[in-house]
Amino acid sequence: MPWIKSEFPIFETARKEGRPLIFLDNASTTQKPQCVIDAIAGFYAGYYANVGRGLYWPATAASSGYDQAREKVRVFIGASSKKEVIFTSGTTDAVNKVVNSFLLPRLEQGDEVLVSEMEHHSNFVPWQHACQSKGAQLKVIPLDAGLNLDLSKLASMLTDKVKVLAVTAISNTLGVKNDLKKIIKLAHQYNIKVFVDAAQLPLSAKINVQNMGCDFLAFSGHKAFGPTGIGVLYGKQVLLENMSPLAYGGGMVQQVTIDKTIMADLPTKHEAGTPNIAGAIGLAAAIDFINLVGVEEIGKHSAELRKYAVERLSEIEGLTLFAKDAKTTAILSFTIEGIHPHDIAAFLTEKGIAVRAGHHCTHPLTHKLDIGGTVRVSFNIYNSEEEVDFLKNTLDEIKSFFL
Amino acid sequence: MNDRLKALYKTQILAHAKSPFNEGVLVNYTHKLQAYNPVCGDQFDLYLKFEDNIIQNASFKGYGCAISKASTSVLTKHLLGKTRSEAKALIELFLKVIDPENNESPESITSDDELLAFTSAREFPERLTCANLAWEKVREVL
Ligand SMILES: Cc1ncc(COP(=O)(O)O)c(C=O)c1O
Repeated sequence: MPWIKSEFPIFETARKEGRPLIFLDNASTTQKPQCVIDAIAGFYAGYYANVGRGLYWPATAASSGYDQAREKVRVFIGASSKKEVIFTSGTTDAVNKVVNSFLLPRLEQGDEVLVSEMEHHSNFVPWQHACQSKGAQLKVIPLDAGLNLDLSKLASMLTDKVKVLAVTAISNTLGVKNDLKKIIKLAHQYNIKVFVDAAQLPLSAKINVQNMGCDFLAFSGHKAFGPTGIGVLYGKQVLLENMSPLAYGGGMVQQVTIDKTIMADLPTKHEAGTPNIAGAIGLAAAIDFINLVGVEEIGKHSAELRKYAVERLSEIEGLTLFAKDAKTTAILSFTIEGIHPHDIAAFLTEKGIAVRAGHHCTHPLTHKLDIGGTVRVSFNIYNSEEEVDFLKNTLDEIKSFFL
Repeated sequence: MNDRLKALYKTQILAHAKSPFNEGVLVNYTHKLQAYNPVCGDQFDLYLKFEDNIIQNASFKGYGCAISKASTSVLTKHLLGKTRSEAKALIELFLKVIDPENNESPESITSDDELLAFTSAREFPERLTCANLAWEKVREVL
């Protein structure tokens, strides 16, 4: 889709020894379209001020931009109210905040928290830390032989002792997608609250939190064409209302006396301090861009490229693909017998191909697979079959150099 | 393939990576060290056997890229027969050879081909931790 690619200035400006950038690290972060860059610059240059109390222009314009961004996010994730949309600095921040404000005050010795074996460290370490601090137990839902979440094992781990189940929508290492609706339904039978790490979801499928039924969901703007430093935490209104503030400070209060503080209403209650206004405005522009192209369109394009890559890379002898048959995602991991992933990545970058090599912040998973790491390619709307062909040919060259 | 990168992966390095020197567990070691690079997950167990202040034997076992594996292999080979202070001097010298901030020509530092094989690491600062991983670890115990 050439018109779409031309919206991303980096592909015009960045050159590796005369060659264009082939960006196959989209699971880590995505490139930015001009409209997002313009929206951020436009805010700083055109109507910059703080949000909240200012009665003057441009504070009113900034506040309205920030508020509109929240409304855009609400529609984007299918939440019923703007009160359920909290801006954070990203997915990791959201996990930590839910751990601190929701889990910790409710967690007692002997309780359990469930996470899956495919979690990113961001959706693993905070829960682990909380459990350890309270004498609770972190239990890990295993994967089956096909590297999908083992739902029958999961079912057997659900008890009244489990306080939270935290699970990713899509594995950032394998590209497998979890059946969230089913998982959530199972968990809710035991009144377990479900936190969905949706970091890899926004460009893969339309999100609808109500349909999904999750209690919490988080994603990062930068993985969805938006800027860094902005993310979203969705929480069911009743949960957010009954939780202590995610952080304390200015902005989130109604009234403060020496003796006590009355908190503001949702969502302000959970957003202490000056928020990332430019980030929210940039994220809103990113959502406009996604809607213009279509989430389905982006997801389909990337999934087709993954499928094509599976076909092409299968031609390489000694290359192992992980979760080869995972459907409708953009992420594909592989190893080549006898060549370390970093050596592969080092040669690919010399050809202008950006990939990720290593454990992708999923130590428990790479440990289970008994590998030191993988090479991971992840696609987006601006990638093409020609790029996959070029990747395949370059891998052939690397193989003949090393082996 | 790109020449600059090919230079980094000289035949010396590939040879060491493919058939490393003294790969394996040493039974009667005096020192066992773990060299771990959290950034990339490379991990080697290093075994040293000191006797009368001399390194009588050295080996390693683990997982890493070609650069880190070869550099660990070269390290264990070069440590053999060295006293503590000789080993220390060797490591300082090697770290100078690969230091991107060092203006001295590598050839003026050493004439050893196996050490010089890593000079291209100067051009790839992001791979420096691969080249010096095991060396830095051993330096800590000398
Ligand atoms: C599945 C998953 N969860 C969480 C994160 C963390 O996101 P962030 O670093 O934006 O907080 C990532 C990012 O790599 C991810 O892929």
